[in-house]
Amino acid sequence: MAQVRLESIGKTYPGGVRAVDGVSILIEDGEFIVLVGPSGCGKSTTLRMIAGLEAITDGEIRIGDRRVNDVAARDRDIAMVFQDYALYPHMTVGRNLSFGLLRRRQYSSRLRSLLSGSYRANRRKETGAISDRVARAADVLGLGDLLDRHPRELSGGQRQRVALGRAIVRDPSVFLLDEPLSNLDAKLRGEMRTELRRLHRQLGATMVHVTHDQEEAMTLGDRLVVMKDGIVQQCGPPVELYREPVNRFVASFIGTPEMNFLEGVIEEGGVFTSGSVRIELPKGRWPSVSVGQQVTLGVRPEHLERVADSDAMFTGEAEVVEQLGDRTDVILVNGNHRMTARIASGSGLREGDSASLRADLSQAHLFAVDDGENRIATK
Amino acid sequence: MVESTARWGRVALVVVSLALVAWAFARVAIREVFPSGQDSNRTELVVMHWSGAGGPAEDAIVDRALARFEEAHPGIRVTRLNPGDAGSFYTKLQTMMAAGSPPDVFYLGAERLSSYADAGLLLPLDDRLQSPGTAADFDLDSFYPATVDAFRFDDGRVGQGPLWGIPKDFTTVGFYYNRDLLREAGVPEPASDWTWDDFIESARAVGRLPGCTGAEFVTWPSMIRAVLWTNGVDLLDENDEIVVDDPGVVEVLERLGSWRHDEDNTLTSGRSETANPASRFLGGKLGFAGPFGRWVVPNYRSITDFEWDYAPLPRGTESANMIATVAWGISARTDHRDEAWQLVSWLTGATTQAEQASLGLAIPTNQVVAEGESFVDPGTPPSRDRDFLDPVAVSRVVPWPPNPALEGTVAKRLDQALRTGDLTVPEALQQIRNWWDVERSSPLASRSLPAMPWAWITGVFLVGLVIALALGWWMLRRTRPDPATVREERSGWLLVSPWVIGFVLFMAVPILLSLALSLTTWSGITTLDEARFVGGGNYEHLLAHDDVFWQSLKVTGVYALLAVPIGQALALLGALLMNVKIRGVSLFRAAWYLPSILAGVGMAVLFRWVFNAENGMMNVILEPALSPLGLEPPDWFVQDAEIFGAPAFAIMSLWLVGGSMMIYLAGLQNVPRSLYEAAEIDRAGPLRRFFSVTIPMISPVILFNVIMSLIGSFQVFTQAFVMTGGGPGDHTRFYVLYLYNQAFDYYEMGYASAMAWLLLLIILGLTMLTLRGSARMVHYEGLR
Repeated sequence: MAQVRLESIGKTYPGGVRAVDGVSILIEDGEFIVLVGPSGCGKSTTLRMIAGLEAITDGEIRIGDRRVNDVAARDRDIAMVFQDYALYPHMTVGRNLSFGLLRRRQYSSRLRSLLSGSYRANRRKETGAISDRVARAADVLGLGDLLDRHPRELSGGQRQRVALGRAIVRDPSVFLLDEPLSNLDAKLRGEMRTELRRLHRQLGATMVHVTHDQEEAMTLGDRLVVMKDGIVQQCGPPVELYREPVNRFVASFIGTPEMNFLEGVIEEGGVFTSGSVRIELPKGRWPSVSVGQQVTLGVRPEHLERVADSDAMFTGEAEVVEQLGDRTDVILVNGNHRMTARIASGSGLREGDSASLRADLSQAHLFAVDDGENRIATK
Repeated sequence: MVESTARWGRVALVVVSLALVAWAFARVAIREVFPSGQDSNRTELVVMHWSGAGGPAEDAIVDRALARFEEAHPGIRVTRLNPGDAGSFYTKLQTMMAAGSPPDVFYLGAERLSSYADAGLLLPLDDRLQSPGTAADFDLDSFYPATVDAFRFDDGRVGQGPLWGIPKDFTTVGFYYNRDLLREAGVPEPASDWTWDDFIESARAVGRLPGCTGAEFVTWPSMIRAVLWTNGVDLLDENDEIVVDDPGVVEVLERLGSWRHDEDNTLTSGRSETANPASRFLGGKLGFAGPFGRWVVPNYRSITDFEWDYAPLPRGTESANMIATVAWGISARTDHRDEAWQLVSWLTGATTQAEQASLGLAIPTNQVVAEGESFVDPGTPPSRDRDFLDPVAVSRVVPWPPNPALEGTVAKRLDQALRTGDLTVPEALQQIRNWWDVERSSPLASRSLPAMPWAWITGVFLVGLVIALALGWWMLRRTRPDPATVREERSGWLLVSPWVIGFVLFMAVPILLSLALSLTTWSGITTLDEARFVGGGNYEHLLAHDDVFWQSLKVTGVYALLAVPIGQALALLGALLMNVKIRGVSLFRAAWYLPSILAGVGMAVLFRWVFNAENGMMNVILEPALSPLGLEPPDWFVQDAEIFGAPAFAIMSLWLVGGSMMIYLAGLQNVPRSLYEAAEIDRAGPLRRFFSVTIPMISPVILFNVIMSLIGSFQVFTQAFVMTGGGPGDHTRFYVLYLYNQAFDYYEMGYASAMAWLLLLIILGLTMLTLRGSARMVHYEGLR
């Protein structure tokens, strides 16, 4: 097990494309960290740089207390699970699991044992040790009955487990998982998520997981690293990212349905105006805003509730009503404004009906309207 | 609306297809039914000839003679065919004869007379000599009798019986000499009655000059027999037995061998063989070249930097010489015998001969013309034209029994004894004798074999075909009752029908025919009804009596054993290199692939130079690498051919790995990159990754390439045909080359068919073996 330290690492591809720019993360020993972001944000490149499959253009990576910038992948003591699993199709599950172990035998020690006459005994011991470890890993993942099968005879979920098993069996200091769940169907993905979580607890290993699925990221990670355009936007525990996103991008990326954004201006008396929508902001919550300032108001759907027309902050016609059983997601439209609200089910609201909403402004955010679109500090 | 458009479209398509097929066949049919088209009141004669050493000049001569003939005979139209050199000519002639539509009048070399006359392909000419249409200037009595006798053949013997062709030109043989070198060596010019002692002494003297060689002495069987004649002996006795124990024969041959092998620079060494031995004389470093006939003169007239001339074959215990001659023959199947004779007598008449003689290429067969000024012309070299004519009195054509394989075998063994030296003279003679005895006592040589029951075979074939079609139709009906499906299948069959018809006509029928032919003896120059049924005789002779068959199998096997694994390893290695992403890699790919699209013959000629023992690139490179080890690079295709001949071809085949390489490259690019990354993370080094990921993942591609290259390696032909012709001896006689020899040189089409079917079985067996043997090593998982 080991700590992984990324110190302002960067990657520039030969064409001049800057895929990763100044990423610094300290991954604690035994931590489950998730790199998340839209495709092309540099998360996979970052992971592959940790693995050693991609050269580092600048910065420094340390695994444990070793600088690994120039260490080959095979010497970094890591294991990796690939999106397409990358199982060796011509080998049985058992061989797939033990392949990495066979490779670990060192020629020098073999030669020594050959000279000392204990080659056979050592070899037998070694082979025994390998099959023990394979059996243990298979046990952990429930692969015991599949060891003699070939990958093509396995279901997607089973292949996924073999890929995990191949990582586990090596007992590496760091696990790297590159979108390992994206090829599974929704149900299986949910199951594997639980399993990954369990494995992490059981092994206590350092794991770095890459995904574009924020829900997967939220449920799995001890901490999340949200990336965009090769730059880390925010790094922190899931709840922190949910509650206190640093900017509009993180706010929109974390949480489903996506946060509602209203672009408007602060008017006299701390009133936020956006077209016909006028919302009186709580006094003193955003001390730094001034009259006439352009801002974006962000309210999560779950912080909106249906109210009588008299209390309404926003009134609109229900364009889409999604019944989810325990709750209902509604999209209201009023002129240029669209608001998604998550309300209790059983309201009887139907598409085409008019409805009024009120936001819990103590949970709302204001974002600056500029390049960074950072969140405006609250008191 | 849409549906009717579609239907009309379909109908139109069918009509167009049918029209195309009908048009293609109609053209052929019309040509058969109305042979001479609208010009039906003129007789059409087809004339075929070659242009040998004369080149385009010969083409022009024949053309002009024919034009004059047509002018003089308005009722006859002549169509002239010229397939090229003599080799192409005989191939074409053979195909036309087998098809039953030979040209009416054609060239006929004396050496082929026995095969053609024996097969009844020629019209006897004696009755026609006095017929009314004979050209006025034609007079057989003024011909050199020896040239006329060369075209008499009866009962297996040349020189007796009916006349089968009218000789158009001829030559005796002798040595061309470099007058400047002889002068420099202080040797007198050869007299017309010089002896072998004169010859060898002059050659030795020239050989002592710096950088010079005494003589190029070719060991062609007919030349060797002429040399033996000058010593009063011969290779064959009066019963056509090979003479093995005549000390005279052995002595002459051994002396000849010793001149080459025991003396430096007297005769050209076997090592320095080039394509055409006659052209070595052009370099100006050779005292004598021969024995050659008049045919080299056009080539030698291009010499400007030294003086040269000609002397007849030297004398031993007696004077003798051989005659090489070509006649005009008439096909036995011609419909226009009278017109054909008119043409032949015209072409061999005094006027045409004189015209040809003035060009100096050929010696007229008409004595009057030959002795006249049109031929004897001291102004242009060679000045000693008379020395071609005077030996005629002691000359005859070299008689060979009507089995072309005999001359071929004699050539191979003499080459081994006299040039490369890997057989002694008695060994060579004994081998020829043994082979000839087997050949003559073989049941295949019998003249009383039953005819092939073609009617019966065709009947069985047709009945089988009808049954198969009926069965197919019945199964179709039984399994697919749904009318929509039937309609769809009908359109399907209709669409593939051009291919199916083509396949049946041009592939399936010939394949089955060759199977039937493998049970017969058939010369390939007669029509099929001349085929004689021998049952398994061909196969038995191949397996039990034919040493050359086993030798060719050995050569081919050694080649395959080397070329397949090395070639595939190299192709894979190349593909790995080409798979590297660097700038300009596509240029390298193109460069490696390029040789695969070059013409086989050009490549073969190129590699003959590469492997030349004295100054070929291969040995120039090898020499400095081998000499510190006290080794010498091999003489690939001459003295060391027994060991290095087939390997040399294998080395040459590496030039063509580009095709396999491209297939490997495609396979490599299909291996997912993540597998390599997974292996790298699993701590596998580059070698491990190659053997544990690359090789298993592309194993189906490897299997495919290995099988393809295995099949290819059993079909080597062009290279060997062009570079060595199978020699020396049979050291580079590849299977298919031997098959070709049998079919087209020895006129044993039935035997060659049997060889082809054996080859099929061999390749099939090896392929099955490869498939079975590799089953556990080939992983198809990567393809899914």
